[in-house]
Amino acid sequence: MMQLLTDLFITIQGWLFDTFVQPVLFALGLASYVEMGFEGVEFVLLGCIELAIAYALMRPLEAWWPAEKWAERRAVKVDIIYSVLNRMGVIPLVVFVLLAPVFMELESWLRFHDVIPRQLEDWLPGLDTKPLASFVIYLVILDFAEYWRHRLSHTFGWWWALHGIHHSQRQMSFWTDSRNHLLDDVIAGVWFACLSLLIGVPPGHFIGLLIALRLVENLSHTNTRLDFGTIGDYLIVGPRYHRWHHAIDLPADPRFQKGCNFAILLPIWDILFGTLYLEKGLPPTGIHEQSAEEIAARDNFWAQQKLGLVLFWKALTGPAKSRSA
Amino acid sequence: MSFVQRMKLPLLTGLIISALLSISAAQAETAIVLNSVDENVSFIDTRTYKETGRAPACKEPHHLIATPDDSSVIVACAVSNELVFFDPATGKEQKRIKNISDPYQLGFSPDNKWFVANSLRLDRVDLYRAADYSLVARVPAAKTPSHMAFDKASQFVFITLQDSNEVLAIDLKTQQPIWKVPVGPTPAGIHMTPDDKYLLVGIMGADYVEVIDWRARKTVKKIVTAKAAHNFLARGDGRHVFVSNRSMNGSISLVDMQTLTEVEKYDVPGGPDDMEIRADGKELWATARFARKVQVVNLEQKKLAYSIPVGRSPHGVSFISHAPRQ
Ligand SMILES: [Zn+2]
Ligand SMILES: [Zn+2]
Repeated sequence: MMQLLTDLFITIQGWLFDTFVQPVLFALGLASYVEMGFEGVEFVLLGCIELAIAYALMRPLEAWWPAEKWAERRAVKVDIIYSVLNRMGVIPLVVFVLLAPVFMELESWLRFHDVIPRQLEDWLPGLDTKPLASFVIYLVILDFAEYWRHRLSHTFGWWWALHGIHHSQRQMSFWTDSRNHLLDDVIAGVWFACLSLLIGVPPGHFIGLLIALRLVENLSHTNTRLDFGTIGDYLIVGPRYHRWHHAIDLPADPRFQKGCNFAILLPIWDILFGTLYLEKGLPPTGIHEQSAEEIAARDNFWAQQKLGLVLFWKALTGPAKSRSA
Repeated sequence: MSFVQRMKLPLLTGLIISALLSISAAQAETAIVLNSVDENVSFIDTRTYKETGRAPACKEPHHLIATPDDSSVIVACAVSNELVFFDPATGKEQKRIKNISDPYQLGFSPDNKWFVANSLRLDRVDLYRAADYSLVARVPAAKTPSHMAFDKASQFVFITLQDSNEVLAIDLKTQQPIWKVPVGPTPAGIHMTPDDKYLLVGIMGADYVEVIDWRARKTVKKIVTAKAAHNFLARGDGRHVFVSNRSMNGSISLVDMQTLTEVEKYDVPGGPDDMEIRADGKELWATARFARKVQVVNLEQKKLAYSIPVGRSPHGVSFISHAPRQ
């Protein structure tokens, strides 16, 4: 059965590659990207599978057990665009094309100066032959870094100008996970690339686990009453947990002035760094926009991209302004 | 000792060794296959053509080669900057050598003095002492150094530069790049003819093998094989070489290195890439990158005999009882 599914997958992948990708690469004189192109097709196919699973699991939750009942779902549309662009590999490709040359140049320079960046396995040699354990440790470290990236994007005004787009959705659904300003995606790419230079990258072959992790991220944005219970809330980020992060009115405690529940996957970081807020309620989501442009940008892709850049520029050149302002 | 006697000694030893090897070939033997995207190696029983197990390799392994004495199979790990050594007989991991910067394709010079590692990603060729894998020199080699070949005297290493469509020669004595010649689009595999006269270059962006008179530094012929001509493996008879044409509906061509013509072709689907040949010359094994399979060609019937499912993007196959490397 597994071999049958694998064969089916390979056949589709091969057909897509042979029909669309390889001829284009050869025509453009990019034949050395053929292998990457083949893996890219796999990435796209897996992205489709992940979205299909997310839809199959989470759309029923939103229909039958919603946190909020909506008269219509029009505001969700723009998030679908983000999700498709993201999971189909368009946004990752753009980020890669922008960053790869810079970081390759840097790495190349380092090697010529005999600096071979260290990786986790150099400190913990036992991990060499235990890729799963290695993956889990990387995951915890990367999740820790994501917590701080997220928290800082609420702290600095220029960063919040971009990340605010993710928060401006008042009809938050599982599609909202990918709703990020493109420049914010690029910054996330830089963050990850810098980290890779410091500790290396995790083993890349646990595709099933990566799909599962993305599903968790989709689920945490789902419009549903589902929660992981008192103990579960301390173990993994769920829909209620992350809904409080998106709450239009933050808890009154000054600790939460810039936000609460920043964790992406593991609540432990919110617990350790004092930003955890567990409450039974299911608050409405969004932000209090301050201008007509901001309101107009709520459900328009290009308006959001433009608005993000305008606010980003204002924040860099004008007085400081962040989540609390 | 007369000349003939001196010749006889290695000849005899060679005969005894190959006799021993053919005995072991008749028994169970393990083929090691590198699954580059799954980051592990597969072991295949060469008698039953079944996968018997897997072992973890490292992060982004790209190629696999046997040491010249066949005591180890080395996996090059581009992202984890190391070499992993496996025992080709048992499949057990022997050791890891760290701080080998971004190795992609590997090679030993014929005199066994040099170990060369291409860094495709970072535009560099590293020259190591083969005896202890200690670094001697890093040579800049833009862009994207891919495969390599050596001359008989082990004076030069020739590198295909995939993205700048050139072949680069590095003088191993001075460790300096000495010349480049332009070739067809996206050159991949490169192979020295047994007479030490020509370099054969697989032109992946087209459908031919480019023949270069390397002393004169010029192209003398283009042997059309099939789309995406990629890699080489000598048949072991001192005259013929296999060329993998790495496309989905791929094939493997047999090229006569004396007449410089294609003499046979076998259909091998799924992107055939690296190859290995059995000591008796009856079977050719090839990793089909896109099909996640090892394809076994029966060279007597000249057709595909077995397709063995392995991991993702299999890149490199090796077993001990292989035909000579010429
Ligand atoms: Zn946030
Ligand atoms: Zn969110």
